[in-house]
Amino acid sequence: MTDEEKFFAWLDGELDAAQAAEVEARVAADPRLSRLADQHRALGAQLRGAFDPIAAAPAPERLQAALPPRAELVDFAARKRARMPSLPQWAAMAATLAVGLFVGTMMPQRGNAPLEVQAGKLYAASDLSRALDTRLASAPAGDVRIGLTFRAKGGEICRSFVGPAASGLACRKDGRWQVRGMFAAPEGQTGNYRMATGMDPNLAALVGSAMAGEPFDAAAEKAAKDKGWR
Amino acid sequence: MDQPSSFESQLAELLPRLRRFAHGLSRDAADADDLTQAAIERALNSRDQWQPGTRLDSWAYRIMRNLWIDTVRSRSRKAAHEAPEEEGLNVGEDPRNRMDESLDLKRIMTAMERLPDEQREIVALILIEGFGYREVSEMLGLPIGTVSSRLVRGRTALLAMVGER
Repeated sequence: MTDEEKFFAWLDGELDAAQAAEVEARVAADPRLSRLADQHRALGAQLRGAFDPIAAAPAPERLQAALPPRAELVDFAARKRARMPSLPQWAAMAATLAVGLFVGTMMPQRGNAPLEVQAGKLYAASDLSRALDTRLASAPAGDVRIGLTFRAKGGEICRSFVGPAASGLACRKDGRWQVRGMFAAPEGQTGNYRMATGMDPNLAALVGSAMAGEPFDAAAEKAAKDKGWR
Repeated sequence: MDQPSSFESQLAELLPRLRRFAHGLSRDAADADDLTQAAIERALNSRDQWQPGTRLDSWAYRIMRNLWIDTVRSRSRKAAHEAPEEEGLNVGEDPRNRMDESLDLKRIMTAMERLPDEQREIVALILIEGFGYREVSEMLGLPIGTVSSRLVRGRTALLAMVGER
């Protein structure tokens, strides 16, 4: 990738966290690049502004003739949500194993799987465990990006994370990161997740139900890390 | 699992997006709707070739794009390039009374029409339709580096054109 392609890939949310941080620093330090980034963001907004009304307008009747009327349609978004793997119940051993295997095959490996199962509970391992131990949201690096860090209603510290194929929530339990939930990235985004994409709605719901109070700010996150996530 | 109506319903759900893509590809509104109709018909007739569990949108977009390529190839280079006369998008005859915003819309659509086909399809898929580079690379059967470099050229040319006054 040329520097120019990398710049645009960054703008489009196509880079992994480490590369994105590098380009971001380069852009921040260069007013010419910052301006170019603004111009291209505006260009994208203009393109969407010009073409979105076509999607918003009713299609001519001849185009709809071959298809069922849209009024009869089921709520596609809702059905899609229902189809998504949604597994907040980690007590179910079978489900845990299935997801462990699934994630094990989906995540890029440099050795060990990112998850391990013990006594029916799922724990972060290898790269994922290291990322949860050491990384701060403010300093993304590697394949796993940390999202929110907060204290759960049970008093333990939890962190949300985004990997190349899945995002999830892990909480500190007896010196390890117990995975409370993990959700596959939308199809087509695996291995190349987009920075611009918001949190998976299932993960957001899980985080919302687990969190007591507010998420940590950068200083609180750092302090919690220094204290060993206790 | 086999619900005969769900394929058609999902396709109907995609219609507005497919139509927007057709307008991104074609230089002419009537052509765009012809292309949309042809793509819907082809998708309905080829439904057996769609694999449930894969993305219907990518599949349908690919059908549309291939039809469009066929049309472009079979057409002689006469192509009188008229600006799309899309209702609701017209800027009107007297731009002095219009908002800058409408001028921008007109300018950006004209600029899109002037892009080479192979850049325009990629600009449309990524910047308008919101697909990722990898999705587009798979959809079009192009190396991701080709997608990325055509996108750079296309958007750079667009910016230069809309910057012209």
